[in-house]
Amino acid sequence: MPIIELREVSKIYGFGDATTLALDEISLSVDKGEFVAVMGPSGSGKTTLMNIIGLLDRPTNGDYLLDGRRASRLRSNRQAKLRRDRIGFVFQSYNLLPRLNILENVALPLAYRGMAPVRRLKQASDILELVGMRDREYFMPRQLSGGQAQRAAIARALVNNPSILIADEPTGNLDSTDSRVVMELLNEIHRRGNTILLVTHNPELTRYANRVIYMHDGMIIGDEKTAVGQLARGVRRVYYSRHKITDDDVMAGVSALMKKVPGKEITTKLKRSKTKIKKRKVPSRRGRKAS
Amino acid sequence: MWSGNFKTAMSSLRQSKWRSTFTMLGIIIGISSVVTTVSLGEGLKHQIVGQVTSLGTNVITVRPGKLVSHGPGGDSLNFLALLSSSNLTVQDVTSLSKVSSATSVVPIDFVTSSAKGDNGELDNIFVGGTNGQFPTVIHQPVNYGEFFPSGDTDAVAIIGSTVANKLFGLQNAVGRTLYINGQPYIVHGVFQQSNNSFISPAQVDLNSSIFIPFDSAVKLTNGSTNILEIFVKSQDQSTVNQTINQVNSLITKNHGQQDFTALKQEQLLAITSNLINTATGFITAIAAISLLVGGIGIMDIMLVSVSERNREIGIRKAVGATNRQILSQFLTEGLALTIGGGIIGILLSFAINGLLRLYTSWQPIIDVWVVVLAAGVSIAVGIIFSIAPAFKASRKDPINALRGD
Repeated sequence: MPIIELREVSKIYGFGDATTLALDEISLSVDKGEFVAVMGPSGSGKTTLMNIIGLLDRPTNGDYLLDGRRASRLRSNRQAKLRRDRIGFVFQSYNLLPRLNILENVALPLAYRGMAPVRRLKQASDILELVGMRDREYFMPRQLSGGQAQRAAIARALVNNPSILIADEPTGNLDSTDSRVVMELLNEIHRRGNTILLVTHNPELTRYANRVIYMHDGMIIGDEKTAVGQLARGVRRVYYSRHKITDDDVMAGVSALMKKVPGKEITTKLKRSKTKIKKRKVPSRRGRKAS
Repeated sequence: MWSGNFKTAMSSLRQSKWRSTFTMLGIIIGISSVVTTVSLGEGLKHQIVGQVTSLGTNVITVRPGKLVSHGPGGDSLNFLALLSSSNLTVQDVTSLSKVSSATSVVPIDFVTSSAKGDNGELDNIFVGGTNGQFPTVIHQPVNYGEFFPSGDTDAVAIIGSTVANKLFGLQNAVGRTLYINGQPYIVHGVFQQSNNSFISPAQVDLNSSIFIPFDSAVKLTNGSTNILEIFVKSQDQSTVNQTINQVNSLITKNHGQQDFTALKQEQLLAITSNLINTATGFITAIAAISLLVGGIGIMDIMLVSVSERNREIGIRKAVGATNRQILSQFLTEGLALTIGGGIIGILLSFAINGLLRLYTSWQPIIDVWVVVLAAGVSIAVGIIFSIAPAFKASRKDPINALRGD
């Protein structure tokens, strides 16, 4: 059973002329233990996708199943508890609370679980040991270098022993040395059996992943399995060849938008035509055509 | 969770020390002014109760003006009567002395408010005429010399301790001369320092008053009188009602109508407390407005703080804080501000209380219930005025909150 399953998830922002289609009927499933790198230009919907998977946002249409259970339509309270227990976030800008020390920052998710202070600080300390930050426990976030802060943030994401670790450009603010340390850490965590979703702009980082997803204009235009340590083959191809927008793609977008409009008949008609189109849109074939 | 909230609240309040202090200032001022006002009222009531009990329960007070109106909704006070000029006459005093059950009749006649002595002139005092039976009604010991005897028409005076100090300094005042309206008077006795210093409801301070024989007072003012009140002492407790009836009928006969009020001590007490309660309530209401303004200040600052801490709220939500947990965090912060302000306000009012006792003749009393009430009010203000900002914080969309700083 996949740990994450998206069924034709779309996300629409705004309304009227300003309507933006951020995600266009994305279907995706991720199994336990996968290290998925999500690539794509800015505005391609990577972060929106991560927000929906991380239960920070709700899809406009479609279903999201976390561990086989529908999670996208739960009440916000239940979602908060799922975030607390099943999902760990790592952000580009670390997002540590500036007024708490590192130990308290790491222990924060446990505090919201209602764990006693002594126990949660002990557990946080153990996790900091794992990321090699034990000697910085009582530092304040501003006293740490970027790499150290990001490692502390990873410790915070891990402290609840989550099913999924979502890292949104974790190396975006780091130099190459710190990037390397952070990625090795993520690699280590992956080897322990955690599921990781990594958003990145850097093709080099796909070496750590065993699956790479390419996004463009809210659609998944490529999905390939790679061996860990190998640069994904599709990177160059997908990244540098211009993705052509066909009439079918436009129709797909219309179908997602039409779901907002009442009137079931049109929607289902469009949807049927779209499923056919999708099959023709396998990236490897497209890649072959291009080469 | 609660202790964690408290810690978080304290650390974020410490972060903006000045802002927190000034926000609390509103609550501090509000709480301390309410507590001080109420304690002043309580103190005044206490003084009057003490004075009334020192008069004894069988003393009847006759005051000019119809104080109590008997309406369909029960007895009510006629405040205007307190301001009217006196219509009690010498004839009333004379006829009252014929009441069989009355052992003594003591008029208090206002003469003037200034007197001259060796060391200069006093302006803000009470100079009054009374008779030799005064000590039987007001049990205030005379330290040096003695009270003038009944029927005395000499130019003698009994003076309060403050007056003695001011006019004659440390020297013995007895036998010395002071001047009232230019007429010389010889000091016949000095009252002991008095704590329950007021003869209500005329609010005469015994310590700064001069009493001269009634007849000389009448002579001094060329026959005109301004009798503030007449004390009638009944034989004992059981004859009080009978005496009141006689007093009423006698003076009504003299005046042709009932334009005065004869009251037992309990009634007097009830009326004065009523009066003080009304005044205290009115001033407290004004003080409470400052509390309200303080509360609005708290709400203001909390709203600013919520929008400033967008990112923090986003992070907390991302790591799994529920709406309720965010709400309670901000509510705790607001409560910490108001409870802190409340405590400081109560302490401040204790300090004001001490200063008032030291430097004025007021004797404010801070009751336990006032403190409890003030604490309760500051908690209530905290909840009422931080619930809206806390709710706003809890409903923030985590994505927007994370994006904005």
